[in-house]
Amino acid sequence: MQKSNLNDLMKRIQKDRDEMAFSQIFDFFAPKVNAYFIQNRIKFESSEDLTQEVLSTVWVKSNLYDSTKSALSTWIFTIARNKKIDFLRKNSKINFKEEDIREFLYLDREIDLIGENEAKKQIERINNELDEQQKIMIKMNFFENKSHKKIADELEIPLGTVKSRIRHILLKMQEFLR
Amino acid sequence: MNGTVVKNQLIFDFASGILGPAKSLFASTYLELNSDASKISSTFENMLGESLMDNENIHPKNLKYTDCMNNENFKSASNLKDPVTSFFGNLNNLNWNQVYKGFKEYTASIDDVDELKLIKMDPGVSVPMHSHAGKEYILVLDGSFCDEYGQYSKGDIQINDQKIKHTPIASKDTGCVCLSITEKDVIFFGRYGSFLNLFTFIKSFFKQK
Repeated sequence: MQKSNLNDLMKRIQKDRDEMAFSQIFDFFAPKVNAYFIQNRIKFESSEDLTQEVLSTVWVKSNLYDSTKSALSTWIFTIARNKKIDFLRKNSKINFKEEDIREFLYLDREIDLIGENEAKKQIERINNELDEQQKIMIKMNFFENKSHKKIADELEIPLGTVKSRIRHILLKMQEFLR
Repeated sequence: MNGTVVKNQLIFDFASGILGPAKSLFASTYLELNSDASKISSTFENMLGESLMDNENIHPKNLKYTDCMNNENFKSASNLKDPVTSFFGNLNNLNWNQVYKGFKEYTASIDDVDELKLIKMDPGVSVPMHSHAGKEYILVLDGSFCDEYGQYSKGDIQINDQKIKHTPIASKDTGCVCLSITEKDVIFFGRYGSFLNLFTFIKSFFKQK
């Protein structure tokens, strides 16, 4: 689906609480969000619950989305990421002493300092600089949160190469993210 | 390690959602105060959003779109305060612990991995030269301080590792309030060094209980 279509659907949800528009947003994003949780090593039963929470947030808090400030996929990604953090935290062996610290961390942080167009340009520039394997590594490292060791195993390359390539990517990105 | 690399690593890790609670609170305050850092984070979040757009599909088995529409137990939480104020409340009302004259700290127990601390230095007050056993992250919330490496004002971050020895001094005019994350205890040098190390050691001993 085109980004502009997604934005139109989102507008219909915001203005008219259009259920059919929401069903299309759901059909497009629910399987991708569900996959994101599974990629992050969350079991299927839980991933489905979390997917429900993410899409419920999209429906209930649709008015918080501003299309001039970020792409819809970015907004939904941040919601999914925050749900993942909450989930991992509740199921972690680490002893967390404050119950609800996550709530105020991300919810209303305005990711609007750059408009979507500026972000798009920067991403295009970065994407042009990276080859296919580097892009895959970024996705594995930061989207799927795989360890360098795991990335090395899956791509069948030495661990040292993964470390140095990711370091190289970060340096490259730094040049552009200024 | 290059400071910029470490800073960006913090931002990327925050955007990916892999930081513990203490570091998350630290990072989100950093993004709140520092617009450059916030831009980097936004761009990175947009990149990860693109990854979501192109992600593979694994269809949920028992979930329909209508299941996502009658969920009434959503709090409409709206938190417009900055993370530090939401977490600590009014800083003036905290029960600060005076370490020595003009230097106070307040330690928050958020997680077992990192120690999150607020530090308040009166104008002109300095910290004896020290280095760090683990990494230390310092974010200036108010006022400024300087050390051998430069001046740090509101929204600036300094990341110190084992190699760095420094003597921070709070601004003579404003003093300085900082948020800090310590991965391991600090090692002190100089006149009061051994005493302060002993103090740190005793403190850590009691903490383990």
